Amino acid sequence: MSGDPNGEYVIEVENLVTHYGDRQILKNVNLRIRRGEIMVIMGGSGSGKTTLLRHLMALEKATSGSIKLLGSDVTQLNEIELYAMCRKIGVSFQGGALLSSLTVGENITLPLREHTDLDQTVMDIMARMKLEVVNLAGFENLMPSELSGGMLKRAALARAIITDPALLFCDEPSAGLDPVVSSALDELILRLRDAMDMTIVVVTHELDSAFRIADRITVLDQGAILTVGTVEEVKNSDNERIQNLLNRKFEVEEPDPEEYLARLMGHT
Amino acid sequence: MAAPSSSSNSPNLASRALERLDALGRSTTDRIAFFGLGASLFVESVRWIFLGRRLRQIVRAQHVAAEMMDIGVLAIPIISVVSIAIGFTLSMQGIQGLEQFGAQHQVIGGVALGVTREFGPLITAIIVAGRSGSSLAARIGAMTISQEVDALKVMGINPVRFLVAPSLVAMLIVLPTLTLWSIAISLLASALYVTPVIGTTLGAFVTEVNASITTDDLAHGLTKTLIFAVLITIVAASKGTSVEGGAEGVGRVTRDSVVGGISAVIISDLLFVYAMTRF
Repeated sequence: MSGDPNGEYVIEVENLVTHYGDRQILKNVNLRIRRGEIMVIMGGSGSGKTTLLRHLMALEKATSGSIKLLGSDVTQLNEIELYAMCRKIGVSFQGGALLSSLTVGENITLPLREHTDLDQTVMDIMARMKLEVVNLAGFENLMPSELSGGMLKRAALARAIITDPALLFCDEPSAGLDPVVSSALDELILRLRDAMDMTIVVVTHELDSAFRIADRITVLDQGAILTVGTVEEVKNSDNERIQNLLNRKFEVEEPDPEEYLARLMGHT
Repeated sequence: MAAPSSSSNSPNLASRALERLDALGRSTTDRIAFFGLGASLFVESVRWIFLGRRLRQIVRAQHVAAEMMDIGVLAIPIISVVSIAIGFTLSMQGIQGLEQFGAQHQVIGGVALGVTREFGPLITAIIVAGRSGSSLAARIGAMTISQEVDALKVMGINPVRFLVAPSLVAMLIVLPTLTLWSIAISLLASALYVTPVIGTTLGAFVTEVNASITTDDLAHGLTKTLIFAVLITIVAASKGTSVEGGAEGVGRVTRDSVVGGISAVIISDLLFVYAMTRF
């Protein structure tokens, strides 16, 4: 467990509302995350957890509300200020999202090549160091297509931490991996937080993984926050929807028969 | 069986007419949006090319060089083959057509003018649109779907600056160069066919070419390649960024970029020639 309970908030989401067309995706979301904390965002499919993460990464425009990262409201930043802010965050995407035309090493040094004047030798050394951290030493000359799913995610983590960011966002880091690799990735995330004093936000639907790494858990349901609490608080919650999520119960709402028939006939 | 009454048909007709109108409206707004996207990509690319260094988003020379290698150097064999074919074909057609007037010697001037003002730029642009435009659209489309474009954004790298601007610069340098190459190869092929057929020398062929084309003709041919370069790049980038769906979507935008790029080249050529010859 880490994250100073009295530490400053480095991520502050206030009254965040998002629509895709007429559909409301996030409903007045409020969330604050302290420095050095690992916050896991959980929820069923379509609960809005990935949308919330994309807002934190400034990849989506909110309908209303504010998102402060390290004290700056990213909804108010201009394009250049936003790119400067992006250099302080690292992101590990679900599928890795390594550039397929570059080697693993080139992928990892890409942020350095684009934003610094470092010598290539220095960048190569830094890339090897980060690859060591994620247990991928010696893989820098391989192409992303030559890596397994678990290796891709670790290489993506290495790229995400190459600039030693203050904030790290991970989208489904253990999805689709076998339990051993998944557990190793969880250990890696914990190690990164402890060694580099990062604040880490992880979106996952893997309960074991969430309970292993989380300092606090945010449970989203239908675009709204159901609860924010420690692992024990979430596990012991008496909220029926949270218990359904934890017990992997899938709720099927019985439709109104007339509405159902109209939908089948294509009238709605 | 009783015929359906006209009163029961009219709501159907009205609803079908409304659906058609709705589809027409959507397709029109989609096209306007596409032109808007293309214009904004062009303006943004130009902005990064000229202001990138000041805004700490540099369009890097090595990216431009890599694009030039792909668009230009690797296209030389196919452009050479097609240019040879064009040179031979125009010469054969020209001699056959002019023979009936006893003016087959005029074929050299005709081929020189045709190749310099029209065939060289047009054929080169069509090949590049098919080869490199499709490649750019597919690359951007695949990168969008696999979240590589999102990854660039969160690394503080503007995707237009990183992906589109280098291609635009490379295309603006390479397309006129390839066109010059195409013109030279077509004329060489024409010389190989024409000189023995009409009984003239290579030196006389070169003299006749020099006498037939002016720097204005060359400028006409090369100026429009700059327009083609912008259109090919922007159509491809616009198609690539508007990808939807998975692999099927990438295939669709690749096809659309070839069709759109070639159409844009041919239509803009028509407008350019009209403007240059009528005003």
